[in-house]
Amino acid sequence: MISQIFILSSKGDHLIYKDCILTTGLLVALFCLCLYLLILLQSHKGLHFIHVRQGGLYWVASTKTNPSPFTIIEFLNRLAALTKDYCGSLSEKSVRMNFALIYELLDEMVDFGYIQTTSTDILKNFIQTEAVSSKPFSLFDLSNVGLFGAETQQSKVAPSVAASRPIMSSRGEQNEIFVDVIERLSVVIGSKGVLMKADIQGEIRIKCFLPTCSEMRIGLNEELSIGKSQLKGYSSAVRVDECRFHQAVKLDEFDTFRILKVCPSQGEQTVMQYQLCDELPCAPPFQLFPSVEKDYVNRVLIFLKLRCDLPPKSTALNVSITVPVPKGSTSMSQELSSPDQTAELQPKNKALLWEIPRFPGGAQLSALFKVDVPGLSSASLLEVGPVSMSFELPKQTCTGLQIRFLRLSPTQTGLSQRWVRYVTHSDSYTIRI
Amino acid sequence: MEWASQLCENRGLGSKMTDSKYFTTTKKGEIFELKAELNSDKKEKKKEAVKKVIASMTVGKDVSALFPDVVNCMQTDNLELKKLVYLYLMNYAKSQPDMAIMAVNTFVKDCEDLNPLIRALAVRTMGCIRVDKITEYLCEPLRKCLKDEDPYVRKTAAVCVAKLHDINAQLVEDQGFLDTLKDLISDSNPMVVANAVAALSEIAESHPNSNLLDLNPQTINKLLTALNECTEWGQIFILDCLASYLPRDDRESQSICERVTPRLSHANSAVVLSAVKVLMKFMEMLPKDLDYYGTLLKKLAPPLVTLLSAEPELQYVALRNINLIVQKRPEILKHEMKVFFVKYNDPIYVKLEKLDIMIRLASQANIAQVLAELKEYATEVDVDFVRKAVRAIGRCAIKVEQSAERCVSTLLDLIQTKVNYVVQEAIVVIKDIFRKYPNKYESVIATLCENLDSLDEPEARAAMIWIVGEYAERIDNADELLESFLEGFHDESTQVQLQLLTAIVKLFLKKPTETQELVQQVLSLATQDSDNPDLRDRGYIYWRLLSTDPVAAKEVVLAEKPLISEETDLIEPTLLEELICHIGTLASVYHKPPSAFVEGSRGVQHKRLPPRTGSGESTETPDVGQSGPSEAPPAVIPSQGDLLGDLLNLDLAPPTATVPSVQPSMQMGAMDLLGGGLDSLLGGDIGGSPSMGAGLGAAPAAMPASLGSAPAVGGGLGDLFDLGGGVGMPTGSYVAPKTVWLLAMKAKGLEISGTFARRGGIIQMDLSLTNKAMSVMTDFAIQFNRNSFGLAPAGPLQVLTPLSPNQTIDVSLPLSTSGPVMKMEPLNNLQVAVKNNIDVFYFSCQYPLSLLFVEDGKMDRQVFLATWKDIPNDNEAQFQIKDIHLNSDVASNKLQGSNIFTIAKRTVEGQDMLYQSVKLTNGIWVLAEMRIQTGNPNYTLSIKCRAPEVCPFVYQCYELVLKN
Repeated sequence: MISQIFILSSKGDHLIYKDCILTTGLLVALFCLCLYLLILLQSHKGLHFIHVRQGGLYWVASTKTNPSPFTIIEFLNRLAALTKDYCGSLSEKSVRMNFALIYELLDEMVDFGYIQTTSTDILKNFIQTEAVSSKPFSLFDLSNVGLFGAETQQSKVAPSVAASRPIMSSRGEQNEIFVDVIERLSVVIGSKGVLMKADIQGEIRIKCFLPTCSEMRIGLNEELSIGKSQLKGYSSAVRVDECRFHQAVKLDEFDTFRILKVCPSQGEQTVMQYQLCDELPCAPPFQLFPSVEKDYVNRVLIFLKLRCDLPPKSTALNVSITVPVPKGSTSMSQELSSPDQTAELQPKNKALLWEIPRFPGGAQLSALFKVDVPGLSSASLLEVGPVSMSFELPKQTCTGLQIRFLRLSPTQTGLSQRWVRYVTHSDSYTIRI
Repeated sequence: MEWASQLCENRGLGSKMTDSKYFTTTKKGEIFELKAELNSDKKEKKKEAVKKVIASMTVGKDVSALFPDVVNCMQTDNLELKKLVYLYLMNYAKSQPDMAIMAVNTFVKDCEDLNPLIRALAVRTMGCIRVDKITEYLCEPLRKCLKDEDPYVRKTAAVCVAKLHDINAQLVEDQGFLDTLKDLISDSNPMVVANAVAALSEIAESHPNSNLLDLNPQTINKLLTALNECTEWGQIFILDCLASYLPRDDRESQSICERVTPRLSHANSAVVLSAVKVLMKFMEMLPKDLDYYGTLLKKLAPPLVTLLSAEPELQYVALRNINLIVQKRPEILKHEMKVFFVKYNDPIYVKLEKLDIMIRLASQANIAQVLAELKEYATEVDVDFVRKAVRAIGRCAIKVEQSAERCVSTLLDLIQTKVNYVVQEAIVVIKDIFRKYPNKYESVIATLCENLDSLDEPEARAAMIWIVGEYAERIDNADELLESFLEGFHDESTQVQLQLLTAIVKLFLKKPTETQELVQQVLSLATQDSDNPDLRDRGYIYWRLLSTDPVAAKEVVLAEKPLISEETDLIEPTLLEELICHIGTLASVYHKPPSAFVEGSRGVQHKRLPPRTGSGESTETPDVGQSGPSEAPPAVIPSQGDLLGDLLNLDLAPPTATVPSVQPSMQMGAMDLLGGGLDSLLGGDIGGSPSMGAGLGAAPAAMPASLGSAPAVGGGLGDLFDLGGGVGMPTGSYVAPKTVWLLAMKAKGLEISGTFARRGGIIQMDLSLTNKAMSVMTDFAIQFNRNSFGLAPAGPLQVLTPLSPNQTIDVSLPLSTSGPVMKMEPLNNLQVAVKNNIDVFYFSCQYPLSLLFVEDGKMDRQVFLATWKDIPNDNEAQFQIKDIHLNSDVASNKLQGSNIFTIAKRTVEGQDMLYQSVKLTNGIWVLAEMRIQTGNPNYTLSIKCRAPEVCPFVYQCYELVLKN
């Protein structure tokens, strides 16, 4: 049971404060101190604080009893998402401007500490206050575009500013719906180039601006198989190990036709989550051929050859490679193959960082690093590695999961725009040397 | 308010950048402005004004002065405005209870409004106003709302009952709201059901014994139906409520499980975890041979794995829960080892938790994989993580025997890296491996010894010293190695000092010839130059052991050590059961029962898993893989070491070894200590030389008396403490010279010597107190520990003048025999505590039993004869008193002086037979027959007594009396 809810700015000012059971004193000042420690769970005098950070704000709940931290964290995430849906964007400014709306939301969402509902469909029956948009809406403002499902560095991919518009706003009424397929890839490649472990966590998220709730049918690959045992012949079936669905999803056509039927409520939601362990349907996107040797007395030579195994038309973006170097490394010189790449030594992290903004499929890049390590011993060569990489692969899913079609029924009157987007992120991509 | 004003300042800064008009700084007169606006006729203006008021309220400004004006705005058709006013009311009603009454009418009216939103709003807000007067008016509207036609109003009213119960529990019961609430469980709307369940659960927690939440198969069925329809949050309430139900049999629990299982694929992880909790609990009741049981096990794994795809914070929460589940039912996740492999970008708290689970899941089937991973982790950057990874390798070796060899070679590889902290951790775990598999991997000792110099952490040094001591016979230069540590003895931490002491004693016992000096050195370092009581006491115990009976010492110190258990830091089974009932809650993250951190009565009930039903019992077999952890809860290693374990220097051992009881035989002088010990050690001659010396007599004085009564120690160790004391035995009129009982160096300059005497039927303890310190001593007092004959001081210790340096005072302390009685070993042992202005000192001494021979101990002849016959012959003890050149009469007189009375004398064939009787203060009679043959200096003494244990002490008295 939740005792209090706060929304705090990054400086610790409290923007919103709701005392659900009205018997606890205000302890925010204390909590602000705790924030600097950045620990998920804090307790003080029998009050346990749980917080998440979203949109530069702290979303905090306190409790006196023994509730489920999952419930509270889920709720806080939901609260943040709803605030974003209602106010358009998450920022100190938008929260301040819409405080009345947020109080109203909170009143409906939590009663005496019991979470009542977080569904926009239900909430919109009760909410009276109009959102105040913090930004005038402009079609030409393309700076704030991006997939809303993940914090991504990429920009200018989707042709809409949808992501930063309040869903309930009466202005700019557009029948838009976005479907994003987001996958997170974690891979461990052994020292001999053997794939040791691969995991894909994926999700399908939709953000819906359709004012009337109509049924939407999302068709996935027909050959999609679920579960470990259902290998179908030799066909390169798209396979996932396990999937979970939003409770609003109707699955009566899923087993035969792989069609998800959903009546999307306005706003953002995850329709399906899935995962695949141990097996990648395709080769891992990057292969590394490293060689590490002692040059002269106090120098280590690290030669890295990196190959991108994506199809030629695809590109990886924002590739960064981190190589741990021996303790006490002082300086580094490097030879890179093109000027847009960068490399630097970070003695504090005992690592060197090589960044490649754009890496086309099928290409191969190499780099040579000479690291000076005073007092180098043969044992310190063991400190080099494992190499970790981070990157993103736009328009690409590693499982091969695709959205075949997106149908709205009954057919929307007027123009409805449907967007489907794909992206794969590296969650953890490790190559051992 | 200081921080509030600071916040206002921040706000001022902020408002320059934002155009948020509600947050402009308060200026004087703003309240008046707002007042005017609130009373404006225009609705828009009113609304804006209320918004401004609420903005101020949020920031922490006091706007309670506006109460009447805001309440005036309450009567409006505008729902938005009404909501704002109600928000204000909730905050300030408590501080303005009288004015809050003004709002009641509107509330009551609103509760009958046509619009269900307004009805719900009114009843929700009223419940949040904690003013007694308002509570009275709340009952009627609440009753109506509980039966409202609109489900939205009903669900709000259900929560309102919980609110009201929090304010006034009695009122809720009197008004019968609880019954109405129970009825709502059968409501048609799932949201109403969920809220009713939540409210009832909350109320039930504050009445632990009430049967409020009367769960029966019918209500459970209704709940399960509602479960499918209500919102995700409602599902959590219902699942948590289900978890508290105890199904009648395994069939019912199976049917509940079947209906809960679909929740496992819910997108909300809180729902998933609540469902896991219900299943884990009800599984307990399912027979294990049931097919469904296996199916359920399989179904539980994927959702748990999926929880790990969330944000790191949630992952951590999930891992803490999985840790519990793995301890309870390892078979669920036994095939999922890979998901617990660490990712390089996991935060450290996730990494450590994953490592822990990996070890718990390690089995013969997957050990190769695990080891390969762990080896990789051991070369990572994060020091904490690397250490834990190295430890994990050791734990694997101990857990999976087949892998031990591979683990050891992995550890050796890691030692070769020479990375300092890796080497140290590796040595610490290798020590444990040696404990688990004795005499198997000693070949690596040489490699370990090479790294001796690089060890700088106490734990690693201690581990290394332990290894050297334990395998001293196989390490050629063990003495040199240990000696090198000894140089900086005082700079070491206690852990290392203790280990060093033990290791050198072990070394001495194994190679006595070459290491005498070393052991003497360490014993004196430990006992004389150290302030640490643990070290000192352990030193004394070893010293005493070695000096008393080196063979016994060998048996004690080099005893077979009990094997260490494979699983360490398991949660204690009862706690684990309780935590399983709290899966998904804070308790499962803290791994503490809720009562440990929840205040008040809430949540203090201890939950238990349901008992397994009979049908599955007989077939219960460990169905885990070949070497998977068995079902039975493994013995948990006790965390606090006991004295015995400490003595044996077992870090983790349960007390199973027995200490051979050490004979309270003669001590050797300090100088002679090692010589004597060595002789007997080499010769195997237990007899020892009875060389008397006073040197060690004072040694146990420094030991706190409480040590002797440690429960685990038993008799064996008790003996150790009782060795001190009397050398010369005084008797009768003859009083033995005083002996030193407490050495000045052990007692901060106070030296005590003393003796005992019986003068005219009064027992006296004669003490000489000598001040060998530089300062004056005052405030003397004395106390005895409980002893065999209840000796106790009959008066205070009469030291009237302060004892100045180098002064000696003689005191005579009268003793009574009315003190508390406890049998001591030996019987005549007395433990004494002396206090002065400096400290309290302890010593023990032995008194001659003749002290207790009473004056009226002469028995009637007839009685003597009868008693002699009556006492069984088993109780008879025979002694030889040698070298006495006295005739029977002189001897008889001499004995009479010590209250040993001769009753009759017979002469048969030149042999005098004296029949004698003695009575002790506690009424025990001792009968004796002494045979004296003329010309033979050896007397034969037969003693009969109903308490045969006193016989040897009586004999001692005879000997002393006759020889002096």
